[in-house]
Formats: sequence, structure tokens, C-alpha cells
Amino acid sequence: MLEREEASLLRWRASFISYCFIAILFVLAFGFWNAQVVQSGYYEQRAEENRIRQIPLRAPRGRIFDRFHRVLADNRPSYDIILIRENSPHTVEQTAAMLAEGVTMSKDELMDRINHKKHDPKFRPIILKEDVSVGDIAYVKAHKYELPEISIELQPRRRYLQDQMAAHAMGYVGEVTEAELATPDFVDFKSGDQVGKTGLEREYNNVLVGKDGFKRVIVNNFGREMGKLDEEPFTAGNDLMTTIDLDLQRAAEDAVGDQMGAVVALDPRNGEILAFVSKPAYDPNLFATRISAADYRSLADDPRKPMLDRAIQSKFAPGSVFKVFEAAAALEAGTLNPLRTIFCGGSEVFYGRSFACDKHHGTLDLHEAIVHSCDIYFYNVGKELGIDNISTYAKMMGLGRKTGVDLPNEETGLIPSREWKLKALKAKWYEGETISVAIGQGYVNITPIEVAWAMGGLTTGGRLKQPHLVNPQELKKLGFPANEVVEEDYPIQESTVDFVTQAMWGVVNEQGGTGGNARVNGFEVGGKTGTAQIVGGKDAGKTNKDRRENAWFVGFAPYRNPEIVVATIIQNGGWGSEAAAPVAHAVLDTYYKKKIGQFDGKLATIAAK
Amino acid sequence: MIVPLKSKRFWQDFDWLLLAAALLLSVISITEIYSATMAQGASTYSLRQLAWVAFGVVCLFVISAIDYHLISEHVPWLYVLGLGALLYTLVLGHRVSGSKSWVGFGSLAFQPSELIKMIVVVALARYLSELRSSKYMTFAQIVKACAIVMVPMGLILLQPDLGTTLTYLPVIAVGLFVRGIRPVALVSLVLGFVLVLPVSWMVLKPYQKERILTFMDPDRDPLGKGYQVTQSKIAIGSGGLLGKGVFRGSQNTLGFLPTRHTDFIFSVVGEELGFVGVMTTLGLLSFIIFRSVYNAQTARDNLGLFIVMGVVGVFFFHLIVNVGMVIGFMPTTGIPLPFLSYGGSSVLNAYVALGLVMSVRRCRYVN
Repeated sequence: MLEREEASLLRWRASFISYCFIAILFVLAFGFWNAQVVQSGYYEQRAEENRIRQIPLRAPRGRIFDRFHRVLADNRPSYDIILIRENSPHTVEQTAAMLAEGVTMSKDELMDRINHKKHDPKFRPIILKEDVSVGDIAYVKAHKYELPEISIELQPRRRYLQDQMAAHAMGYVGEVTEAELATPDFVDFKSGDQVGKTGLEREYNNVLVGKDGFKRVIVNNFGREMGKLDEEPFTAGNDLMTTIDLDLQRAAEDAVGDQMGAVVALDPRNGEILAFVSKPAYDPNLFATRISAADYRSLADDPRKPMLDRAIQSKFAPGSVFKVFEAAAALEAGTLNPLRTIFCGGSEVFYGRSFACDKHHGTLDLHEAIVHSCDIYFYNVGKELGIDNISTYAKMMGLGRKTGVDLPNEETGLIPSREWKLKALKAKWYEGETISVAIGQGYVNITPIEVAWAMGGLTTGGRLKQPHLVNPQELKKLGFPANEVVEEDYPIQESTVDFVTQAMWGVVNEQGGTGGNARVNGFEVGGKTGTAQIVGGKDAGKTNKDRRENAWFVGFAPYRNPEIVVATIIQNGGWGSEAAAPVAHAVLDTYYKKKIGQFDGKLATIAAK
Repeated sequence: MIVPLKSKRFWQDFDWLLLAAALLLSVISITEIYSATMAQGASTYSLRQLAWVAFGVVCLFVISAIDYHLISEHVPWLYVLGLGALLYTLVLGHRVSGSKSWVGFGSLAFQPSELIKMIVVVALARYLSELRSSKYMTFAQIVKACAIVMVPMGLILLQPDLGTTLTYLPVIAVGLFVRGIRPVALVSLVLGFVLVLPVSWMVLKPYQKERILTFMDPDRDPLGKGYQVTQSKIAIGSGGLLGKGVFRGSQNTLGFLPTRHTDFIFSVVGEELGFVGVMTTLGLLSFIIFRSVYNAQTARDNLGLFIVMGVVGVFFFHLIVNVGMVIGFMPTTGIPLPFLSYGGSSVLNAYVALGLVMSVRRCRYVN
């Protein structure tokens, strides 16, 4: 091989390397062109997302007041530990392990919390621990350089000042669930937000909820704040005034005490609810911070069902309370002359079966039958009135119907009828069943709020006012659309109203009346007791506490133009006269003392049992 | 034979354009290193880089003043000295990021593995140029040529520093290619290399793979392999056509870019100087490579050609691996970009290499 030839070959190979280089250079230039010219917008946005972190400024919910602006629920500052995974220098496992060293939470618990929100966008904070202690805050602050992905966030939390008072009316708040987010009510919310779950918190969530603000800060690659960009302050939620009177509420709650039951006190003239009790209750404060699994379980599994709102969700046989409505129905239907007397010998046979009364009342007229709550008298009234009339008039008077109270999940009681039985039970109505219904037993059942509503309607001359905890005018003042309070008038003779209210005054005030325990000196209280059997009459053993009768008392005052109706049920309380009437007394007594300016702020005493 | 610097001939033959390109790159480098290290008290890094550039330029002049034949004559001694330095490093070197590749002199520390590369370039060039003239190398010659490069490579691999080891590959690859090997040998070498890589990779246990990945990239992000490259692409892409301006790149100044003053300095260039800055920098680097190839082709003898092509191979490799990495075309490896990345050894090596190119060019007309 010639040296010249070889030299040119070597030079050619050197050139070949340049050509390779040029080719690769074009590929690289294409890559830069693509990134910096074609897709630069996309990358600019990514760079912005990198450097800007939006920190939510949590808006406190509006406060909830009673009718005299006394605070029932407000907020307290509390701090959460949050994790922002974006740009974290650690894997979530490392973060959890490091955090578990100083915070009273195990690594597994932390990982659970993180995994739960695994699919959220990385920039969205994950709450690792709510309402942390000073020790936890100190640990996080002390390690802010090692754990820049962890921070402390101010989260105003609900505080119910009266603990368990009116718990079911208040409801509670909690973190919005995935399922809720999918519903139209929660379109403006996002994962991690606090929303009302039940009660007024849920019903008026859109009024109470504030608008979160935000702070945008420039962060470095460790998530450390390097400067502030801008800030939009939060808007606190609207304060909401309810119709509850804290004094009456407290009187009712104390009177019920540890018993199971419900009290609804309302003003029949306008439907405003003055006291709303369901016992046993829960502490809504437990929900303000994420409720622990153990706490939740103990509430959910409690056989006394503290989560159940007995005032609007439990249906009870009304017992003798039903007699008042039945008397009014019979007077209206014209099947009963009020002066008619019937002999009570302790029992009577209807349709081949013997029905009992708890006393031998002897001969009574309608007034006396109501005062002494004679079953025999009303068996006959019911028999003559017939199930069709009973059902028509009871429904007209508001029983077995939704009251439309401004609380979620109201249940409806049942007033049986021939059609109902045919449809629901696929069976024909037996006339004997009318006899049981006549004293508020059998298929008939009602909720406490229904009976308060219906009693208000009856005693005010057939004017049913939709019960409510928040006056629509309050909502309008806050700029929210609100429907007027629904009013429903039904035809009823003045004489009928006069007669039954007079009789109910007698129940409380006449010698031998069953409602003497509800009497308030100076206040013309009327009312009706009820002692409703839970299981069929004969095996209602008084020794087994669970099978004791439900004690009812539905009272109102004054008996002409009433201002207040109180419906009370004490479950397994036994006699209405002994268990329920004193509770109504406590409420009515407090109301009256306030009215005449003698209320000293102390709790109403419960009349002797 | 040393030609005095004041010689008129020396200044005439000196490749001023090549030096100008290198100095321009150093200006960009020092500026962007300043920008990239502002958070860490900036000036130390850029001043050190400046000092190394100054020292590098001095070395460049000294080496270009020396006839490369003289260097070639002494290369066996230098080669042995180099191996000794590598052994010394292996035994007594500083451990940085898990590998013993640093030697310290007072406050100065550098990696002998970088500088010894140029000795290997000259050693291989000498061997290749002394071969009997023929179109293709024999098998034995290929083995010997490989041995010259592989021995120091092996010592560096033991440090263990896989990244630097890889940068020796272009020296042997370019050398063999330019000297000429049979197409069959070329294909089988390339195929063998391509096949051995994945096979040996599969044989490795996961922790060994992890270790190798860590050799290649000691700063591998705990959040995942893609993080560094993603941030680098965000930086480059968000720079747009004209860039965000020096000291104004958010990816850079807020620290989203990893190892931004060393391996990812080109991402800083991309973010702050934009597509225009990227093309200018790539243009300067390409100019150095093309100009060197031209100098190789006009060299007085094959020794000069092989020396310069060795340098070209090294520059070429560093450029495509590093620039390919920042734009996401190449895996993440700890290989610096010549003239731009922060680091004394890298800067010194680049200027020394350029000095060799100058020396070859200067001697082309000497009889």
C-alpha cells in the first residue's frame, strides 16, 4: 500500500467521523428546537407549576346562634400537619418514617393516610394529622429543613360550645367524601374540604361555608418558601341565627337526662322550633376533628343509638295522645255527641275480642274520657268513626305526613287506612284493627315533630305552620333565596277546637287528670299523656326495662291562643303522666318564667316524679 | 524540540480561532456557573473555574510550544507514571460519592483519571502511527492497541468510576476506526459490545444494577430516575427561543435542576440563554471539533493525525453523551461537558487536549 494512498484513506476516515458528528448534531438540534420552540409553552407552564405553590387559607364556617344571639357553634384555631408530595426530596415512605419519629402517629398510620389520597394531584396537600398538639407542631417546625414537604396548616375547626346540646339539630361537619363530591350539592368543593354532614350544618352548608382564600408563594426545589407572590384572603361563612331558645333547650335536655327520648318545642303561631332534643346524643365536637375509628365505632354500635335523631327519624305509636285527634275527628265528622256517656267497666268486647282499659272509669262523657284517658270510651269512638274517617282526619291534621322541617332525612309516620294495608301488606282491613288504632296502637305511628306540628295546628284552629329552625327572613337578609314558611289551613269548627283544648286543659289541671305533672302555676297549660305499648299488650312485662311503654306527653300553653307546643317522648319511660309530663313541665315552666320576667337563668327544676 | 514562544513562526501557526472559541465557551461557562451557584455563595465556584481556565490556558500554550514528537518520545514514561498515579489514587485517593477517584494537593483536588486520558491518547497514537503501512490492522495489533487503553480503564473501573471509564472508549474506538480495521472486525466489535452490554446487565443482581446506576450517576434522585431529566427538560423548554436571561432561570436559581453547575450546566444555558444560546454554544463546540478534524487532516504525519483524532473522539463523546442527557436522549451519566461543566480536571483536560491539537497544527510545515 502506498503511503499517499494510506494517508488519504486516514483523512477520509477522519472526515467520516465529522459527518457522523454532523448527523448527531442535527438530532440534538432537533431536540432543542422541539423543546424550546415547539413545546416551550408547555414547559413554561411546568416551570411555573414547579416554582409556585398555592397555600390555602381556610375560611372559618359561619357561627350558629340561638334566637338571642347566644353562640351554639363557632370555630377555634387548630393546626393540621400536611404533606405536599410535589418536589419532595423524599419518597413518601421516607417522609412517613421520619415524621413517625417525632409525631404521635405510627409510620403505618401515616402511610394509610397518604395511600388514601394517592391519586390526588401531587400538588394538593394531604392532611396527615388533624388538630395536632403543641409537641407535634414543635417537632415539625424544628425539622422544617429536613422535611420541607411537611408543613403546618391553620384549619379553623368547629366548636360546639354547648357540647352535646341540640347535637342532632346542629349536626356535625367532616371532610367531604368522594361520593359527596360527585353530587351537585358539592360541585364547588374539593377533596379535603370540611362540609356539613347532617343537621343544620348540612341543611345550610352553603350559607355557613366560607370561601377559602389562598396565598401563592415561590418555592425552591425543596418546597421551601422563597418569597410571596400574591394573596387572596378568605371570606368567612355567614353566621346563622336559629330559632332555638337555649334556655328552653337546656331545660328540656336536663329534664330528659340520661333517658332515651325526644322533645320538640315549637311556637305554633309561626312554626319556629324553640327546643329540639334527641337523647342520647353524641358530641358533635368529636367529628370536628377526624373522628377516631374507635370513637365512631362506639357511637355506631351503641345499642342506645346516639346517632339517631329521634325527633324526626323515629316513629312511635302515639298511644293515648292520638285520642285528642280522634275526638276532634269524631266531632268534625259528626259521629260523636260530646255529651254522650259511655260506661267503662275495665274491658269491653269488640268483634269477638276483649279490649281492656287500665281502670274502671265508670260512666264518662267525652271531656272526662280525655281527662282520664279512658280506652273503652275511645274504642267506641273509633268504632263509630271508622278507619276511613280516622285516616282522613288524622292526615288532614298533619299526622303521618312530612312536616317539612329544615333538617335533612326527616321520616314520616304512618296513619293506616284500608288502601294502605291493601297496598303495603296485600291484606284486607279487619274492623278489629280499628279498635287498636283508636287508642293510638296497632299500625299507627308518628314522629315527635309530627305530633308537635299537628298539636300546634289543632290548638290554633287548624293552622299548620311548617316547623323550622332557621327563619327564612334570616336567609334573605344574608342574600340567600328562601321559601316562605309554608302555612296550611284545614277546616275545623271553632267549637271542636274549644272542646278539645278545654279537655286538654282538664288533663293537666283537673282533679284526677293524667297530666298533672305538667302543670305550671299561672300558665294555662293543656296537654295529653300517652303510654304506648311497644309489644302486644299482654306480654309487656314491666320488669323488663326494654319492654316498658314509651311515655308521651304533648302539651301547649296557654290553652287559648297557644304560644308554645311541647311534644315529649321518653322511651321505655312507662306512664306518660310520670315520665313525659315532667319534661314538658320543665320546658313550659322555663318558658313561662321567661315570659313574666322571673327567669333567673338557672335551670328549671323537674317536677317531682 | 521546543520552539521559543517569541518565535514569529509560532504565533503565525497558532490557531487563534480555536483558542477564541474555547475562551468564549469558558466565558459562558463561568457566567452560568455563577448563576447556578448563587444560592451557595456563587463567587467561589466561578472564581475557581476562572483560575482553572487560566491555568488551562497556560498549559495550552506550554504544550503547543512543545513538538508533539517530543511528547510521543517520552510517552512510555508518562504512561507508566500515569498508571502509578491511578494505583496511588486507588489506594490513597479521596472517596467522593462512593468512588476513589480524587487526589488532593492542598486545597486543590482533581481526578488523575481525566488527565491520564491525554497520555493514553498520545500513547495509542504513537502505537498506531508506528504500525507497518497496511489497509487493515491485524488481530494481534488490535489486541495490543486495546490493551494500551484497557489497562488504565481497568484501574479506573476499580475506583470504581464507570462514567470516566466510559470516556476512554472513544479513544480506542476512533483510533481503531481511523487506523482501519476490517469491516468484519468492526461489525463484530460493535455487535459484541452491543450484545455483551444487555447480557451482562441481565446477569447482574438488582442491587448490583442499582450500584452500577449509582456509579454512573452518584446524584441519582431518590424520587426516580426520570426526575433529573424531567427537570432538565422543563428548564430547557421553558427557556424558549431567547431564554429567561442570565441569573433569571427559575429552574436554575430555585434549585429544581440537579447538579446544575457540573453535569447539567447545559440545561442552565438552555433555560437562561434559550435556543439561541444553545445553538451558539453547540456551534462553538462543533467549531472546535471540526477545526480539530481539519488540523488532523493537515497534520504532518500520522502521529499528529492520531493524536488529534483521539482528542476529537473524546470531545465528541463527551458532547453527545452530556448534551444528549440534558435533552433526554441519553441516560443519565456523570459525564461533564468539555469547557462548560464546573470542575478543574475537566477544564484542565479540555485545554491540555486543545494544546495537543495546537502542537500538531503548529508543526505541520516543519521539515
